[in-house]
Amino acid sequence: MKKIKLDITVNGVKHSLKVDPNLRLLDLLREELDLTGTKEGCGIGECGACTVILDGKAVNSCLILAGQCAGREIVTIEGLSDGEKLHPLQQAFLDHGAVQCGFCTPGMILSAAALLHANPAPTEDEIRVAISGNLCRCTGYTQIVEAVQAAAGKDKGDWWLQI
Amino acid sequence: MIPFNFIRPASLAEALDFLAENGERTEIIAGGTDLLVELRGIPAGKKGPKWVVDISGLPELKGIREEGEEIIVGSGSTHWEVHTSELIRETAPLLAAASATVGAAQHRNIATIGGNIMNASPAADTVPALIALEASAVLRSREGERVRPLSGIFVKPYQTDAAPGEILTAVRFRRLPAEAKSAFVKLGRRNALAISRMNAAVVLFLRDGVISEARIAPGSATPMPERFAAAEKILIGQKPSEELFRAAGAAVAAEMVDRSGRRWSTPYKEPVIAALTARALREALAG
Repeated sequence: MKKIKLDITVNGVKHSLKVDPNLRLLDLLREELDLTGTKEGCGIGECGACTVILDGKAVNSCLILAGQCAGREIVTIEGLSDGEKLHPLQQAFLDHGAVQCGFCTPGMILSAAALLHANPAPTEDEIRVAISGNLCRCTGYTQIVEAVQAAAGKDKGDWWLQI
Repeated sequence: MIPFNFIRPASLAEALDFLAENGERTEIIAGGTDLLVELRGIPAGKKGPKWVVDISGLPELKGIREEGEEIIVGSGSTHWEVHTSELIRETAPLLAAASATVGAAQHRNIATIGGNIMNASPAADTVPALIALEASAVLRSREGERVRPLSGIFVKPYQTDAAPGEILTAVRFRRLPAEAKSAFVKLGRRNALAISRMNAAVVLFLRDGVISEARIAPGSATPMPERFAAAEKILIGQKPSEELFRAAGAAVAAEMVDRSGRRWSTPYKEPVIAALTARALREALAG
């Protein structure tokens, strides 16, 4: 197994790495870059806990090899806040009780962020479709949908929207 | 994850050269949403592929375009690209509908139509739609290109007749005329992120209020996706009606049992495929 060279941008930071060829994007983020906000739930693309934004679109980082992301841009949950200042989606999740155990939250917020990036004023149906690949076993989803509705339209100008 | 080597060719020619030499011990990765689940399932110590070749970035496999009456969908088109394509929505709305039901957004954003075909799952969503469109598969190797009816490339579940040196580069089909009626319906365990329990793709042509041509391609009903001629025959020359659509649905169920035999799932699948077929015909007619 020959290591591969990988140039990748994560949360606006460029990295030049040598990684194992069988490394998943999820492992790259958690194990190589210490970005443990991205969670591994099922590992087979059913739960969405490992959702990150790849070139502006939500993807499951457990279903992509790190090598496939060469030259591309990733945003993880760590990339949303501006230091201590939370992203409007993160604040809305807190305000609306959309976080309980918290395990689904990073993936849920990134799916919502990708939606708002493409569609700043989504309908409730569009929100439900956008987060349908993210399982939450605590909230029953209502608070999450309310949080996304509250955050809609509030995130223009954030740096990650420029990617 | 079992060990393997990874390469990312810069061009289709480079990928075909590599496969010509190493195809037997190589898995091709495009979106990866099926392959990574499969590779992860190989127990440690068991042999996997020696190579994984990434074709997801190849520009030659991208794009959806028309050439005269034909629509050509690059195999590297994602389901998101297919279901949001104005050209596909206009010329093959049932294919747009099928791509829209694959997995969740996270899958549709990277999973490709080529991967959906070449994985050859009997539950693939886009394959029945493509078969109802009478699509052809374009397979390329270092030696050249062959174009075959899509329905002819499936050998058994999860296996096509593509040689180890071949890559599916595109699917092509004649655009549906504006007056054609079509639909794709699917039943999963839930509405989102569900593999099809069963699905059905239909195309109807009407002349003077009478059905002149009918195509019915059920999914997850037979080991390999195909059209159901006996049910299609029932429709031809008839005026559309609820009764007729139910009769066609019953014929699909009977034909499924003929081809797949009676299995543990048959008492469930019989009424489901009959109802899905009738629903698809109803939806097609309603436009």
